[in-house]
Amino acid sequence: MKLFENNQTVKVGIFIFIGLLILMVTIFTLGGQKKTFAKTFVVNAYFKDVSGLQSGGNIWLSGVKIGTVKKISFQSDYQVQVTMHIENDAKEYIHKDSKAKIGSDGLIGNKIIIIYGGTPAAGHIVEDDVLSVENGLSTDDMLATLQVSNKNFEAITTDFKSISKKIDSGEGTLGALLNDPTIAVKLNETMTDLQLTVANLKVVSENSKYVISNFQEFSSKINKPGNSINDLVADTLMYSSINKSLTELRKAAGSVNQFAANLSTASGKLNDKDNAVGLLLNDPASAASMKNTLKNLETSSYKLDEDLEALQHNFLLRRYFKKKEKGKLD
Amino acid sequence: MDAFFGDIYSVAIFILQFFKEAFSGPFEFKEIVNQCYKVGSKSLALVSLTGLVTGIVFTTQSRPSLSVFGASSWLPSLVAIAVIRALAPLVTALIVAGKVGSNIGAELGSMKVTEQIDAMEVSGTNPFKFLVTTRIIATTFMMPVLILYTGFVGMMGSFLNVYQNESTSFPAFFKSAFSSIVFLDIYASLFKALCFGFTIGVAGCYQGYNAQNGTQGVGRAANLAVVISMYLIFIEEITIVQLINTIR
Repeated sequence: MKLFENNQTVKVGIFIFIGLLILMVTIFTLGGQKKTFAKTFVVNAYFKDVSGLQSGGNIWLSGVKIGTVKKISFQSDYQVQVTMHIENDAKEYIHKDSKAKIGSDGLIGNKIIIIYGGTPAAGHIVEDDVLSVENGLSTDDMLATLQVSNKNFEAITTDFKSISKKIDSGEGTLGALLNDPTIAVKLNETMTDLQLTVANLKVVSENSKYVISNFQEFSSKINKPGNSINDLVADTLMYSSINKSLTELRKAAGSVNQFAANLSTASGKLNDKDNAVGLLLNDPASAASMKNTLKNLETSSYKLDEDLEALQHNFLLRRYFKKKEKGKLD
Repeated sequence: MDAFFGDIYSVAIFILQFFKEAFSGPFEFKEIVNQCYKVGSKSLALVSLTGLVTGIVFTTQSRPSLSVFGASSWLPSLVAIAVIRALAPLVTALIVAGKVGSNIGAELGSMKVTEQIDAMEVSGTNPFKFLVTTRIIATTFMMPVLILYTGFVGMMGSFLNVYQNESTSFPAFFKSAFSSIVFLDIYASLFKALCFGFTIGVAGCYQGYNAQNGTQGVGRAANLAVVISMYLIFIEEITIVQLINTIR
């Protein structure tokens, strides 16, 4: 007890206690971050190339760390077995058909394993399962692709250099456009015309707006019940009546057509000489005969008139005519 | 050359005697606590200040290099690796070697040249157990604690600098810092601390316990205690780093 009454002892005790406290906090923080104390299960994957992956490397699922690489060993020729310790909590999110690939936690970061994909139908992964792998692009592959891109870019810049040289020397349409002042003037005029056209179009557009407005007003009136056009469009009785009238009109037109046909037939027959009227109209001999007949008839009529005058003065009939004349006067 | 190998032999015997005395009673607990106070608590302020400055300066000097790659966000990881793996043990050991090692060398050297150690032997007290064993135990076991302090204060210094420049929050800083650290780094640092502490204690005690030629010998003992401790600390640092990298 006497030992602890010493001030130095207490100070040393506090000093050591705080030191140990720092150690404990460090260990637990590190353990929590590295998931050292989390329950894990073992999953394997076989890669052709692990691209420098190391034991202790992280395993990511959807960007979340779910475990670490515990062991990397050669399994057979060109096959490297990677043993992974994955947290039990992540088990339900990894499916049997999920895939593993080597990735990086940044452009120049550490190599990691990325687990992705999988379908719920395949079921959850279990202890000692083997994940199928996808051999991703290594840095060398990326550099090779970049080399091809560089060559393409070089070719593009060479072409562009040639084009810009031609443009600068005034070759081609674009060169002329940039170097020929007359084209510039014409272009300026074209632009002025274009501006005028646009201004006109603007006026037309405003007018069309007015027309559309009128049309809208007109259509709204049509749609309003109570006017004749709306009745025409909307009233089914009127439509029936119009339809009936049109049917009657169609029948009348049919009759007219029939009449016209008959008239045509009759007029056709008038041109023929096999009937009396046609003969009368078309045969000159008949016309002459007819003319002669009419002449004879006129002569006959004149003579008959004279004969009848004479008859009036005949003693046999004189009395009758006098009596008739007298009756008129009464 | 003979003197060099003779010294190696003497040191080996000295270390063997330490282990013999350390594991045999009676144990000088009170003196051990007293030495722990001198080595640990008394060095805390100096070590903390050094750690804080180390953290701030290292962060400040590393920022431009990382900024070139747009990787300023890696500062916490970089500082954590540097401080916990190397700087905290090394800087602490050098500070303790300078402060405590010289103190032990001078103190024991004075006692030696003024024949106080001989007087202790005459009075029936085991001077090796009382003076040497307690000091070596104190330096050996206080060094890991001091390293923890240095590491913590160094990281806090780094955080202050990063917060001032990048406005990184406390949790984000330490999450990033610990993301690059593994348990092996902590164990390696603690192991290094034990080795450095033992080395400082042995070098200081050996030089002081074997001091000769009056007051000149005292000064020489104090000086050699610091110089030899520092040499050995660098050699141990290289060796342990290689050893840990083999395990890693």
